[in-house]
Amino acid sequence: MNTATGQVIELQGPRRRPGVRGWLLLAPLLLWLFAFVVAPTAIMLVYSFCERDELGQVVFELSLSSYARVFDATYLKILLSSMKYAAITTVICLVAGYPVAYFIGRAREGVRNRLLMLVMVPFWTSFLIRTYAWMSILKSEGLLNGLLLYLQIISAPLDIMYTPTAVVIGLVYSYLPFMILPIYGSVEKLDNALIEAAFDLGAGPVSAFSHVIVPLTRPGILAGVLLVFIPALGMFAITDLMGGSRVPMIGNVIQNQFGQARDWPFGAALGMTLLLLFSLFFLLGLRKEQEG
Amino acid sequence: MRLRTMSGIKLSNLLLCGWSGLVLIYLYLPILLLVVYSFNDSRMSVVWEGFTFKWYGQLFDELVAHLGDERRSPLIESLSNSVIIAAITTAFSVVLGTAGAFLLYRYRFPALRSITALIFIPMIIPEIIMGISLLIFFKTVELELGFTTVIISHVTFCFPFVLIAVQARLAGLDPSLEEAALDLGATPLKAFFLIMVPYLLPAIISGALMSFTLSMDELIVTYFTRGPKSETLPIKVFGMAKVGLNPMLNTISTVFIVATAMLVVFAESLKGTARRLPDES
Amino acid sequence: MKRISALLILMFLPLVALLGCGKKEGPAPQSTGSGSAPEPKAGGELNLFGWSEYIPQEILDGFTKETGIKVNYETFASNEEMLSKLLAGSTRYDLIQPSEYAIEALVKQKKLQPLDPARIPNLKNIAAAFRNQPHDPELKYTVPWMGTTVGIVVNTEKVKEPVKGYKDVFQPKYKGRIVALNDAREIVSWVMVTMGMNANDVTPENLAKIKPTLAEWIKLVKVFDSDSPKTALLNGDVDIGVIWSGEAALLYQENKNKFQFILPTEGAHKAIDSLAIPENAENKIGAEMFMNYILRPEVSKLISDKFPYTNPNTEARKLLTPEQLANPASYPPLAGMETFHDIGKAAADVDKLVTDLKAAQ
Repeated sequence: MNTATGQVIELQGPRRRPGVRGWLLLAPLLLWLFAFVVAPTAIMLVYSFCERDELGQVVFELSLSSYARVFDATYLKILLSSMKYAAITTVICLVAGYPVAYFIGRAREGVRNRLLMLVMVPFWTSFLIRTYAWMSILKSEGLLNGLLLYLQIISAPLDIMYTPTAVVIGLVYSYLPFMILPIYGSVEKLDNALIEAAFDLGAGPVSAFSHVIVPLTRPGILAGVLLVFIPALGMFAITDLMGGSRVPMIGNVIQNQFGQARDWPFGAALGMTLLLLFSLFFLLGLRKEQEG
Repeated sequence: MRLRTMSGIKLSNLLLCGWSGLVLIYLYLPILLLVVYSFNDSRMSVVWEGFTFKWYGQLFDELVAHLGDERRSPLIESLSNSVIIAAITTAFSVVLGTAGAFLLYRYRFPALRSITALIFIPMIIPEIIMGISLLIFFKTVELELGFTTVIISHVTFCFPFVLIAVQARLAGLDPSLEEAALDLGATPLKAFFLIMVPYLLPAIISGALMSFTLSMDELIVTYFTRGPKSETLPIKVFGMAKVGLNPMLNTISTVFIVATAMLVVFAESLKGTARRLPDES
Repeated sequence: MKRISALLILMFLPLVALLGCGKKEGPAPQSTGSGSAPEPKAGGELNLFGWSEYIPQEILDGFTKETGIKVNYETFASNEEMLSKLLAGSTRYDLIQPSEYAIEALVKQKKLQPLDPARIPNLKNIAAAFRNQPHDPELKYTVPWMGTTVGIVVNTEKVKEPVKGYKDVFQPKYKGRIVALNDAREIVSWVMVTMGMNANDVTPENLAKIKPTLAEWIKLVKVFDSDSPKTALLNGDVDIGVIWSGEAALLYQENKNKFQFILPTEGAHKAIDSLAIPENAENKIGAEMFMNYILRPEVSKLISDKFPYTNPNTEARKLLTPEQLANPASYPPLAGMETFHDIGKAAADVDKLVTDLKAAQ
């Protein structure tokens, strides 16, 4: 994770000083970021230092009480377990997704885009509809149990729905494409000559893979890890639906503050802490990358 | 182009193919179920009660009534809103993300780290916080809620995905490629469109696919930034879950997937094998 | 250069904070200048902000056909979602659909306009059980839409023992077979009434008292779901649960022999969703016309046909089929039940308590 953030931005190319033109070209992006990222984030930052009224809305009185609550053992524990789920999801997505990305990237050119579409199209149906479909597969009177019972592999239905296993199945399902696509981008540009050279030098498939292919596709892997881990950390809908909301995730806790708990400042403080934590990882990773 | 035919390679190719097949089955399993359920004769769509075409009939009726301006169909309206929003979002995200990644690669910007950190914010910040803070921001600058605000908010969290995908592709790119073009007298703009864009295309396509997908399926940010006339499909579906998912949702999804697949096949066959990406080796 | 960007951010911050403050402190201007125009007319559009899947499309179409007023129906999924969007004030809604505790808070903060009873003659159709409610005793601000309660649903194929109240549900033998609403206030109230307290008496002392029992109950639950708790019961993943009566009514419609609805003996509470007009509405007349329209018996019946909650309209109930009226989850005896009161800041304590106990498992 740490190295990922560093690597992705530390791209070396024919770097030039930006000059007026460079800045002008970058201006739209910067403007967009300032208007729709910095400004709203700043609003939330201000809110996180405020008090709340009966409706949970923000009252402008300087207060640190929300931040004091962030360091409550309960919330730290919830944060850790959310990170655990995000990490497991990321690893499974990587292991399952890499071969697929490789396969698509090495496929004939005309087929590649079709395969990519094939990976993405399932996700154009609504998340909720997909999740309900998963529920009818995994439920105790569902397809999977029915099949296993019919084949006499099990004698009583397995309890899968509303367990951590169901949550992981749902998370991996939702984020797998976000691992496959960036890795595909890296695999696609792999130089065949390099791989063949490895084989010529007597490397077997495994050794060629680990010594040549993986290092060359590292940027794609890191991008994929980033694109899966970060959104998975804040996810809450899947844990609600597939996990039965028994174990709260950090996303749920934040969501609740703007809903039922009616404590906007605390919700904002939690969000800002998450942001800060991430920035720390980011900077640490960057430093490590530069040292290494 | 193909790797040499050594038995080990053959085997590993076979394994790769097999594994990819398995993963695709995993991806399509719920979709398959949904297609089957679109023919299910039950209102609650969890129990199989026999085969029927009636949901397709109903969908067709609604479509005709909606298009004929006879009766509004909220379901069809929300679907078309979603597709429009996702398409525009994708277009903006691709431009912003590709240009951003390229510029950050090309020039040595002094505040690179801060800029990159800013780009990551929309990805890490919880959706509800992004939604509410954008809502307050739009209110402050007096932008009326509607399609525009939804698209702005979607682009904000979608373009980082394009940017990261393109950055990964740019990493370790041979600089001589572009310089050769410049040496041959191409303007930087021409070099960008003739050399860089085709080279980046695979990453741009995957970024675009990610944007479209994310935008089609976003619920929470959309909730806060939409106006009365910009209801999207996910919001509609989420509301429906309370009274039991309408079986017509399965039907709509099936039709949508089949239509997309046909569109893709059609577009590909039109292009034939025409487009070739330049090989950088 | 890095400093410059930091500086920019710093400059930007107070500006934004200022804008934010300005919004909050200045009271929203009253746009309607004491409306003394002789015969005010309805605007051409009506911005309706209502619960998702709660207002049948036929009603909206019928209203438009009759009055020519176009209805823009924007939906929300919880009172809090509605409140945050309403209070941010970015869209002017003419009609909202809050529940009783949200109404209480909105009335307290003077965010609702009083209705003109002369324009809503059909208000007379509202049953007595829906009048004299603490959130709006004289129906000065609101027109009741539908009533609901929370009760127990049992899958009689799997649970053979009689179940009468909450304490029969939350027993160790049902561990891992229970669905409960994912709503901190609800589950806390169940323990409170079981221990003989009033559900509206949410004080730190009472919360401390119920904590051990609440911890036990939470451990027994397999699924927490407020959006569609019937799903887990239908799927056979759980056998017993405490859910919204409307959800229970749908289960009853699906299979009335399998699913049984029971009002807990410890005491249930009711909820009333209503229509109300926010202070900054632009089409008050149109909103009142809509209220009067939905109070017609034949229109109100359409709501009941689609959503089997408790219809507050006595005239409409006469039009319902005996089967509709016999659904025990649609028409439980609401008369004696209390509603939840707004508990303001204590909502955060309740949420914290339940989050703590869930995380401690």
